[in-house]
Amino acid sequence: MNALIISAILGVIMMFSGILLKQKSGVRGIAIGGLVLVLLSNVLEMNGTHFFNVNLHGMMEFDHFSLLFVSVIIGAMLFYFILSARDMEKVGGYYAEYFALLFFILCGIVLVTSFKSLLILFLGIEIISIPLYILTGSDKRNLKSNEASLKYLLTGSFSTGLMLMGIALIYGATGTFDVAKMKLGLSEQPELLAIAGMLLLLFSMSFKVSAAPFHFWTPDVYDGAPTVFTAFMATIVKAAVFIGFIRLFGDTFGGMAPKWQFWVAVLAAATLFIGNITAVFQQSVKRMLAYSSIAQAGFMLLALFAMNQDAREGILLYSVAYSLATIGIFAVLGRMNDYTFEGFNGLARRQPLVAAVLTICLLSLAGIPLTAGFLAKFYMLKAAMAAGTQFWLVIFAVLMAAVSVYYYFRVIQAMYFKEGEANVTVSAGFKTALVVLAALIIVLGVAPELILYWLYF
Amino acid sequence: MYLLAIDWIFILEKFLLVGFIVSLSMVVAMYATYGERKVAAWLQDRIGPNRAGPFGLLQPLADGGKLFFKEEIIPLISSKFLFILGPILAMVTALLTSAVIPWGRPLHIAGRDVPLQVADINIGILYIFGVVSIGVYGIMIGGWASNNKFSLLAAIRGASQMVSYELPMGLSLLAVLMLVGDLKMSSIVANQVGEGFFNWHIWYQPLGFLIFFICALAECNRTPFDLPEAENELNFGYHQEYSSMKLGFYLFAEYINMFISGVVMATLYFGGYDIPFVNEANWDINQNLLALIGFAVLLAKAFLFVFVFMWIRWTIPRFRYDQLMKLGWARLIPLALFNMVITAAIVLWLKK
Amino acid sequence: MNITQILFWLLSVTALFGAMMVVTSRNPVYSVLWLILTFFSISGHYILLNAQFLAIVNIIVYAGAIMVLFLFVIMLMNLNKNAEPTRGRWIKFAGAISGGCLLLVLVAALRSTEVSSKSVQVGVGEIGLIKNLGRELFTNYVVPFEISSILFLSAMIGAVVIGKKD
Repeated sequence: MNALIISAILGVIMMFSGILLKQKSGVRGIAIGGLVLVLLSNVLEMNGTHFFNVNLHGMMEFDHFSLLFVSVIIGAMLFYFILSARDMEKVGGYYAEYFALLFFILCGIVLVTSFKSLLILFLGIEIISIPLYILTGSDKRNLKSNEASLKYLLTGSFSTGLMLMGIALIYGATGTFDVAKMKLGLSEQPELLAIAGMLLLLFSMSFKVSAAPFHFWTPDVYDGAPTVFTAFMATIVKAAVFIGFIRLFGDTFGGMAPKWQFWVAVLAAATLFIGNITAVFQQSVKRMLAYSSIAQAGFMLLALFAMNQDAREGILLYSVAYSLATIGIFAVLGRMNDYTFEGFNGLARRQPLVAAVLTICLLSLAGIPLTAGFLAKFYMLKAAMAAGTQFWLVIFAVLMAAVSVYYYFRVIQAMYFKEGEANVTVSAGFKTALVVLAALIIVLGVAPELILYWLYF
Repeated sequence: MYLLAIDWIFILEKFLLVGFIVSLSMVVAMYATYGERKVAAWLQDRIGPNRAGPFGLLQPLADGGKLFFKEEIIPLISSKFLFILGPILAMVTALLTSAVIPWGRPLHIAGRDVPLQVADINIGILYIFGVVSIGVYGIMIGGWASNNKFSLLAAIRGASQMVSYELPMGLSLLAVLMLVGDLKMSSIVANQVGEGFFNWHIWYQPLGFLIFFICALAECNRTPFDLPEAENELNFGYHQEYSSMKLGFYLFAEYINMFISGVVMATLYFGGYDIPFVNEANWDINQNLLALIGFAVLLAKAFLFVFVFMWIRWTIPRFRYDQLMKLGWARLIPLALFNMVITAAIVLWLKK
Repeated sequence: MNITQILFWLLSVTALFGAMMVVTSRNPVYSVLWLILTFFSISGHYILLNAQFLAIVNIIVYAGAIMVLFLFVIMLMNLNKNAEPTRGRWIKFAGAISGGCLLLVLVAALRSTEVSSKSVQVGVGEIGLIKNLGRELFTNYVVPFEISSILFLSAMIGAVVIGKKD
């Protein structure tokens, strides 16, 4: 609750800071400071300090998992702000408003991770989506950005429509929005109405996390959106919506798991396949990352499929590993002039430190041991094994992870083994943040307990 | 008399009332055209229509007859159905509003209480709002179906104007609703009935009334907000291609709107059928007669507003379009919000 | 068959027919007009359920404001010609299949549900009246109600960001 209210207030403050403050660095300072405040308040809430006493009528529940996850998300967002906030200046003239929208998205993330009523889930998803449509189209002079925004809006509202339809059907079947009171899957008779609703919710949530075959919007939108906002969309938002997805199917539809588990497995396999295979053929690193984010979503779907304790640990670790690595790559990518693979040629010669961090991030995404990405993937596979029903899925996932190594290594190869003129201008602060990021990825790759410990704290 | 579980006498009663009110609105609208010309003449120091009948009183009939017998032209390359639908919608929405207005105290006829209100629905004032918001379509459809650029521009102007001014109108209304605590039109009037006329909402909501009045002018497309009919810019406005009685319907609808908005303002802010200077509860008089006097008083109040509308028309020049939008969005809405917040604070404070 | 049932069937047929026409009309202006008709018949359904407030708000907000803006854009862009691009056969085929699947699922789901036990209170329920609705909204549902203000605020900021000239 602390994080929700404070970030909503911060959104309003950011809105006004654009008028009151002339300097952009001041706006940025407020945003980063505010985010630290949100992080602190959230950590305090984990320790039992509630700033606000609100009668929630059982519509939200801030349990340990959701609070921990929100802390992790805010931490990732902090990295994102420190690394990429300066790049937002280049997008357009509404610097303060972009921050306001990002804080509102954070509110939506808190809602999605802690909902206990489908009404709140819907509100959360909408609060996340609507600012994203705008941020996608914020580069107004760029036709590609406009097109991406419109595509995202149209497909996104369609999927929201599906979601509402699903919620309506579930309401029809159970007579309540309250997850705790639904008790689906307990009766002997097949609850066809609830199953139809569940299917619609499955479709719409798959759309939001860009799982195949609902991924068609992802490459265009991620490619068209300004790179800074692509970074945000592909990492923080995606991880948060995944938590919502898992909570929805764990809490609400947990009782009818046999009905959807197989189909989630199919979804995961399709997502892994399409994401990885298409990413191989991309010429632009940005577009490759879009497909890679689809592929990573496939891995995260394994947690949804397994839905056991391993999966809960895994998804947490996965969100951290994936978000940090991708934020790092996008932060560097946003400063490159050329987004193609050739654009990275010879980067290691000129910026050895940046190239090294980039390599660590890419290795983590590929799932090479000693990085967080490896353990994250490992936990996922372990969870899927423990679920025990679909062994083929595990083998398939390993196979696809091997494929993914190819396109991640293409970037590394371009940086280290090819001659070229690639260069980026980076400040000392940026470099420090990058190094901290890389260190974190490696530390988590060696000692994941650092995060997982808090899950049982 | 119950057939199909319907009280047929009730239906008959309502039909009579609807028929009466609709024909009343028509007649008032007819004579409003006459009134407009006479007022104009008076303000411009002329005589005005004086040929048809005594004081020119038959002039509206002559005008109506002329419109009926004129040739009807429908543009070839336009949607015929929509072209006809436009004036129909304008007329229907203009008349629909009268359904929730309490025209007077209930009559006692043959042991039955006959309320002088077609429907006292739970959402009364919102219903008026809904009908007003639908009123845009008459203009838009007509203007578009004319297949004429001037008509289309005028229609779009008219629609944007009406949509914009609905907002401050609704906000100023909210303040009244806070005073009453109910949306029913009958309770809005009942809240104002009493001795003297200091119960009227105008004393509590002067600013709200001002905003409402301005918005009513804009909603009726009257000067100074008659941009959809700005002849120097748009030839003849959205009804340029219309002729004969379809044109008549548009013109008629405007006058009916004027009359109805006068009635609504009288009901909301000026006590409705409340007779000033009289405490009706103590007045020893036949109930039916009292109801009729109340009805007459309401009409008188409405006519006063119609007169003010005309007065404004012949006094104030037209706004420019950007001025109109600025007034609506940047002036009236903040003002109405301010009014609403102040009212809410005072209502809360007094209730404490 | 009492009057409520007659009205129900009438409104349902109008709503479905209107919705069909929205999709099949070649001219977007007609589509919008049919959509307005659909909104009206849905409002009629609300009134049958005695949800007067919802009914009128549906008309004020959707038919009275949003659809006007739709008409605006369509008229200004002069989309009244049959500007619809012709789509590939495969897309049509895939669309028909997936739509048909959805229809099948929904029909199967709805057929199996027992409607009789959960039939709505037609015309007698008080819950849709504005007084009760307001009370519900500000007591039990006050959290989502307040949270939706964040949604509107973000949409408003977004509208300014997108709409304002640089």
